[in-house]
Amino acid sequence: MLTAEENEALCRVGPGTPMGKVLRRYWTPAFQAGDLPEPDCPPIHVTVLGSDFVAFRDSSGRLGFLDELCCHRGASLVLGRVEEGGIRCLYHGWKYAVDGTILETPNLATSTFRERVKHGAYPVREAGGLGWVYLGPPGTEPPFPAFSWTSAAADELVVSEMILDCNWMQVQEGSIDSSHVAILHLDTLATMGAGPRNVGSFAFAGEPWDLDMPVPARGRPGEGRPGGGWPSDDNAPRIEVENTPFGFHYAAIRDVTDDPGKKFVRVTAFAMPYTAFIGGVASGAVIVVPRDDYTCSTIGVFKVPKGVGGVTQPVEDRRVRLPAQDRAAMAAGQSFAGFRGGNRIQDSAVQMSEGPMYDRAKEHLVPADLAIIRMRRLFADSVRCVEAGGAPLGLGEDFDFAGVGPASAIIDAGQPWQDLVPANQGVREPARQR
Amino acid sequence: MIWLSIVIDTACTKIWDAWGSGARVTSLRVSPAVYAAVAAARPGEVARDYPLMLLGLQLIADPEVATYDPVAVCDPVAVWR
Repeated sequence: MLTAEENEALCRVGPGTPMGKVLRRYWTPAFQAGDLPEPDCPPIHVTVLGSDFVAFRDSSGRLGFLDELCCHRGASLVLGRVEEGGIRCLYHGWKYAVDGTILETPNLATSTFRERVKHGAYPVREAGGLGWVYLGPPGTEPPFPAFSWTSAAADELVVSEMILDCNWMQVQEGSIDSSHVAILHLDTLATMGAGPRNVGSFAFAGEPWDLDMPVPARGRPGEGRPGGGWPSDDNAPRIEVENTPFGFHYAAIRDVTDDPGKKFVRVTAFAMPYTAFIGGVASGAVIVVPRDDYTCSTIGVFKVPKGVGGVTQPVEDRRVRLPAQDRAAMAAGQSFAGFRGGNRIQDSAVQMSEGPMYDRAKEHLVPADLAIIRMRRLFADSVRCVEAGGAPLGLGEDFDFAGVGPASAIIDAGQPWQDLVPANQGVREPARQR
Repeated sequence: MIWLSIVIDTACTKIWDAWGSGARVTSLRVSPAVYAAVAAARPGEVARDYPLMLLGLQLIADPEVATYDPVAVCDPVAVWR
């Protein structure tokens, strides 16, 4: 739980807010690079961290990320023309370069003004199919977190964004929470032909009904429990957390059904403040970015064989539209959650159901929520660091982000799970045995 | 401002450590300031005279406990497997 004051401090992201100041100290994935496909293409409007910007690609292919409103009379530059090395406001023709230099002011002949004033412009770079911006104080940007997939070519990446109408913390907390997987996502596991087939009084009566949902490599329906997949019926994993140079990682450790000499380990890594590498999803990451206090984007970036990726997701397909919950399928034993569409729809349904900004004074955390608890701790510590004039946690100075990753494996009961992810450089805490 | 995020992270880590050593944790001792912060956030439970709970454990205010160093109280006898 959090007090109301702390909840506000950790959830609000606008300029001048405690968490807003923290988040502006990291490189922030703000838009899909595919939305600016070629030089001088139409600009796009970007809302991120509660502020509005225009992003564009100039005649040389360089990205620009500027304050949205023209500094003359405040017209939106999203309406502007991208031409000959800059973006021109439609209203009076003022023109800006990618670095905020005012190139032309048709209604002001003298150049003195242009030489002394610059438009708000921010460092921006393209990596991993995304446009990343730095919105913090000039000169304080940290090294770019070069994850393993950020150097991949566009046609080796699939970028899938969902826009949710709720505060970003609700989604971020869900992305790192392992203990809901075998419950909320029971349909997904059943469709994969893996894992438990019941929760409480619910048990699948025959095959799950959503066999078209997007899932990892699927087992044959009715096959039961194939090798790998989800080899456990344990819905109360023990959780072990370690801090790392980039944030933290944790293991959800479950008993393996019918094999007491083994344990099923899912390691999730969280790179401050946006990116989760989720156990069982080895080829990519899930990024949650606040657009404003009540809207966020969750972006899946997945590495795929060359030539398979590179298709830009249509803008109109990004905002989550929940299907109706199928109560008949739930009652008939065909579905536990009743939502077609796979994990991300199931997650979106429960996360948005918490309301626009969940009041955490009402919650009752349990020890199984340790990953969520640790994430909030790192955010709180970062707020305190920044307020004291320092840097937030997890910037990973001199750290090789390319090695950050998750793991999902069945290992011997006595083997340290940290062996699966040595590049995460976790700071070992005393081993715990249940 | 009291950061419950820090209090809870410390408490939760201690609970897992206690479980790891086979102990049964029975309650959490926290500073009076933390207790007051939880009580203020949970007026409904206070009004119903319910015990205040954190991490599934009853909270006990203890002036000997520092704000950011809660104590997981363990059953001195019971030891889990």
